[in-house]
This record gives sequence, structure tokens and C-alpha cells, in this order.
Amino acid sequence: MAEQKVSARYASSLLDSAIEKNQLDLVSNDIDFISSVLKQNPSLDRMLENPIVKPELKSSILEEIFKSKINSETMEFILFVVKKKREEILSSILEKFKELRDIKLGFVNVNVSVASEFSDSQKNELQNKLQNVLKKKVRMSYKVDEKILGGFIVQAGDTVFNASIKHQLDLLKKHFIEASPVTN
Amino acid sequence: MAEVRPDEISAILRRQLSGFENETDIYDVGTVLQVGDGIARVYGLSKVMASELVEFPNDVFGMVLNLEEDSVGCVLFGDSSLVKEGDIVKRTKRVTSLPVGEEMLGRVITPLGLPIDGKGPINTKQFLPIERKALGVIQRQPVKEPVQTGIAAIDAMIPIGRGQRELIIGDRQTGKTAVAIDAIINQKYTHSPEAKNLGIKPVYCVYVAIGQKSSTVAQVVAKLQEHGAMDYTTVISASASEPAPLQFIAPYSGATLGEYFRDNGRHALVIYDDLSKQAASYRELSLLLRRPPGREAYPGDVFYLHSRLLERASKLSEELGGGSLTALPIIETQQGDVSAYIPTNVISITDGQIYLESNLFNAGVRPAINVGISVSRVGGNAQIKAMKKVAGSLRTDLAQYRELEAFAKFGSDLDKSTLRTLAKGSRLVELLKQGQYAPVNIERQVISIFLGTNGYLDSIAVSDVKRFEKEVLEYFEVKHLDIFETIKKEKDLSPQTIEKIKKAAEEFLPTFRSNT
Repeated sequence: MAEQKVSARYASSLLDSAIEKNQLDLVSNDIDFISSVLKQNPSLDRMLENPIVKPELKSSILEEIFKSKINSETMEFILFVVKKKREEILSSILEKFKELRDIKLGFVNVNVSVASEFSDSQKNELQNKLQNVLKKKVRMSYKVDEKILGGFIVQAGDTVFNASIKHQLDLLKKHFIEASPVTN
Repeated sequence: MAEVRPDEISAILRRQLSGFENETDIYDVGTVLQVGDGIARVYGLSKVMASELVEFPNDVFGMVLNLEEDSVGCVLFGDSSLVKEGDIVKRTKRVTSLPVGEEMLGRVITPLGLPIDGKGPINTKQFLPIERKALGVIQRQPVKEPVQTGIAAIDAMIPIGRGQRELIIGDRQTGKTAVAIDAIINQKYTHSPEAKNLGIKPVYCVYVAIGQKSSTVAQVVAKLQEHGAMDYTTVISASASEPAPLQFIAPYSGATLGEYFRDNGRHALVIYDDLSKQAASYRELSLLLRRPPGREAYPGDVFYLHSRLLERASKLSEELGGGSLTALPIIETQQGDVSAYIPTNVISITDGQIYLESNLFNAGVRPAINVGISVSRVGGNAQIKAMKKVAGSLRTDLAQYRELEAFAKFGSDLDKSTLRTLAKGSRLVELLKQGQYAPVNIERQVISIFLGTNGYLDSIAVSDVKRFEKEVLEYFEVKHLDIFETIKKEKDLSPQTIEKIKKAAEEFLPTFRSNT
């Protein structure tokens, strides 16, 4: 819980300074890049979380990996986080940054579970519909889940649009139980 | 054996299915971060309302109590072992509410309105939120009608009006519940055709059992049934085995049901048995929700917990139908300590209190009401005139008796007038003793007290007082029924009635045989 608060603070200050300097696109690309590197190399994340490794060593490792590939502003920020001994929550700061950036730019991440793969035209149609309903730009990510039997489940933020066959059957079951005179 | 044809089944299925809509279901969700001890912390649920009902898996419901920056604190109304970390929580978009209606009468329900008496579902049409704001000044009027408890000591000296909040306070085993149950049983009269003719409106009762043994609740229900009192009573039970959140909301549910009757221009009597246990379960919740503890480890808003509940008792103005909600909260003290936190709070909120004492109880004075320190701050306006006339002298006589009682214990020589006061006092105390489940009508109370305060008992031995009362009332009933009728109708003691009573009593006195 406390970690969430701290990472929100770091992330929002990075976002604000990027906007101030008109470098939001640059910084945001860098953050996406770093976060994908961290995800692909768990050993790097483990090293950052390890308190035995000295901060100076951590900074030099990070500098060596990223220096040539990212903007100097972003590099400075990463080193600042290490200097403040918050490197173990670096990945959570990055996630929070993405979240805050999406809110700022009016993007919303939408997770769609489908019973069988959608065709491109279906995907387009769903995306357009959702953009109309949510009045926001959407970024879709699809997942195939055979357990839902048919239809799809869309989760945008906290709101769920459930149009799966599984859910319909569950509701039907409930409806029958409630309507039957033998309950209670 | 009866046959069921397949086409019949499919017809029923089709009919049931026709009402079923297959639209996209839209709902808000969150995920459980942490669960335990009847509390769940939920991430998400971003638009949830305070005290909204939320649905966990396995049919467990919860109520939102804490709205925090990055999580929501919920209390669970079911078994917390059925909820796991990572479970999906759904909003219901409904503030915790109770189904209300006449259908609830005669039933035993949980604080969420589910029946637990095995008499089938309750088909109510209306829902009301369990937490409602109390009415303001404009909507109210002073109490003016009495609630007759059928207990002479209360109806005479600590009268309760419709819309009043009267605390019943005492140690364990002093008969607190008995007073409340007698009051419910005595409301049976208000539902009779006779009361209707006299313009007495019926009183509907709600008995809220908080943190009691299920066996005790069953006993109470059986007693009420035996006396025909369940017809106009609802019992709300959150027994000791229920989770603390249910015990915490039980009194609010009771108040909501009472308010339903009140808002329809009718009269309701709600008994909260008892609020000390409710405060304890609220303390449990608050500590688990990490709210800071204060005195006796109760949270800071424990006063508000009871004040917002009891403030809902009210007498509505005529424009709003003139209905009323009378509250009889019960508080259990530890070893007579009324200066503990919860008792002082509730004493200061209510419009008076009835003290029950264990030493009186053990001395055989039952109901064990200490009339010296029991008060009713507003009920006097509601008392019928006849009772007011006789109760005035009863109060002073008993006060004098108590003052002299201490001296009398030294056994020193006492003058004549002192002896007379003592004799009268001891007879009056005897007169106010009363059995359990035996409420007495107001007109009988008036006559007994009239005879007691006017010296008709002085020649009777103390041990004979109860028998004398019984026989004299029987005599009145047989020979002078008109006196009862006049008191009922006029609600007053006119000089003519007083003359009649005196005459009848003088007729009866010589015929009374003492036991000795």
C-alpha cells in the first residue's frame, strides 16, 4: 500500500517535468523501453531489488545498459531513483507512470477475453463501439479464454461489459433458483 | 403416481425463459487485496458509495465502510473463509437496505430481511435503506399519546409516550428483557376492536435481539406466540454466532422497519436488546478497520453510533400523518456501574431511563425498578389524567418511605406519623410488585394505586396486599364494572367516579378476610 503511494509520487513528478519540457513522447518511449527490458530480464529486476548490491554498482550497471539508448532526462531520473534508494520499486514507478500518462492523454486499457479469436474486422468494430461508449481512446489487448464458452468479456478500468455465454447461463441458473417456490 | 408430460415441462421452461433477457451485463468490479476477521480490503470499485452493498463470490455480501485513497474497506455479512485474495467483487449499486412491509409481522428475520423462521419467503414490495437520516424539527411534534407497558410502576411513575426514547438499564439478570417483553405483550390491547372504539391506535412492535443466544431468542418468540403477540411483532435476530457486522447493523434494520410503520401514520415500538453488545461489535469492526481506539477502546464515533440510531425515534406532525416510533434501548451494566462509557452516552441521548437493580430483584421486588432514580423526561405529557392524579401522591409517598426506611432499620422508637409513613410505603412497594408476562390494564392500575395512596391498605397486612388487590379488582369487575368503563372512556377521575370508587372499596373492605 505504501509502495503504491511512493511510486505514484515519483511517477507524477516525472510526468509533470516531461510535459513541462515538451518531451512527453520521448520520455514515454524511454519508459516503455525500460519497462520491457525489465520484464524480459528478471535477473536485472532481482539485482535492483537486492539490498546487498551497492547503489553505486546499481547506478553504473543501469548507466551501462541504458545510457546510449535513452534520453538524458530519463537517465537522470533513473539514477535519481537509485540515489534515493527507491530502486526496488522502479518497475512499479514505471507502471504507475504509464497509468498516469494514459489518464492524461485520455487512453484507457481494455482487456478483452474471447472464446475464439476475433477477426480483424470484428476487432475494429468492437474498438469503435467502445470508443463511442467510453468517450476515450482505447488500447485493446485480447486473450482467448475457452471457459467463457462464447461471446466476449470486456474490462475497461473497473467496469466490466459481460456478454459471455457462461455469464448468461449463470444468470439463468440464478433466475431459476429465485423463481422456484422451494427455496427457503 | 402423478405423471408429468414432457411437453408440460417444456411449456413451463419456455414461460420461465421468456422473461429472461440476454443483454450485455454491465457492472463495476474490484479485486480482494486482503481478507480476514470479517473484513476485506478491495482494490478497484472506484465509483462505490459508502455503505453500499457489494457482492463477493459464493453469495457472500459485504458493506463498504471505509473509502480510502487506493482501496476500499468492506465488512462481510457472511463467512470470511469463503472469500479469497484475488476474488472479484461486484457492486450492487444499492445502499444496504431492508425489505419492509406488513408481511414482516409475525416473522423472525435477519438484519438483512431474510426469514429464519422456516415459514417461507416474505413477499415484500418495498425496500428502505437501513441507514436513514433522522427527521428534523419541523416534521415532529411533542409526544402526547401514551405507550402503556402494563407494568404499574412504569405506567404510573415513569410514563412512556409514543415517540419517546426510554432507556432500560441494569445489571445482568435483573429483568430488563422481561420489562420489554411485557410491554410488547401489553400492546395486544391496542389491536382490539375495543381500543379502536376508544380511539387508541394500534402499536406494531419490533424486537431486535443483538448478540444473544439463539435459544434465548427462540424462547422470546415462543413466549410472544403464546400470548398472541407475534401477530403484530417482528423479531430481528443477529445472534451471538453471527458476524459482528450483522450485529452492528441489526438495530438500524429495526429502526427502518419501525419507520415504515411510522411513515404510514401508524405507531411502532422498537426494542433494542441490547446496545452494549452492539457497541462491542462495532468496536470489533472499527479496530479491524484500523480506526483509532479511544476510551475503553471504543472508536471516536461510538456516541454518534447510538445518537443517530435513537434520534430516529420520533412523533410525526399531523401533516405527516402523526405516526410515531418509540424506542426502548436496553443497556447492560457491569456491577451497577452506570458511569462506564456506553451507559453514560446512552443515558444522555435518551429521554429518561428505567433503572433495574439486582439487590431489589433479590429482595423480591419484581420488576426490580428503582423508582427513586428512574425518570421519564417527556412521558408525563402523555399520561392519562386519571393516572396523573393518583400517581402524584404515589411518588411522594414512596419518596418519603425511602427517606425513612434507613432510620427504621436501626429499630429505635419511632413516632406515630413515621410509623404510618413506613407502613404505607411498604404496602405501596408490595402493591407495585407484579408477575412476569402479566401486564395490567390502565384502569385497574388506577384503582389499585388509588386505593393504596388513599389509605385503604393500611388495615391490611403487608403479606396480604397482593391478594387484597386481586380480590378487590375482581369485586369491582363483578359489581362495579361501570367504574372501569368510565375511566377507560373519560380517561379522567371525576369527583363522581372518586366517590363511586370510595363507596365500592368501603363495601368490600369488611368482607376481606385476612390470612392471619
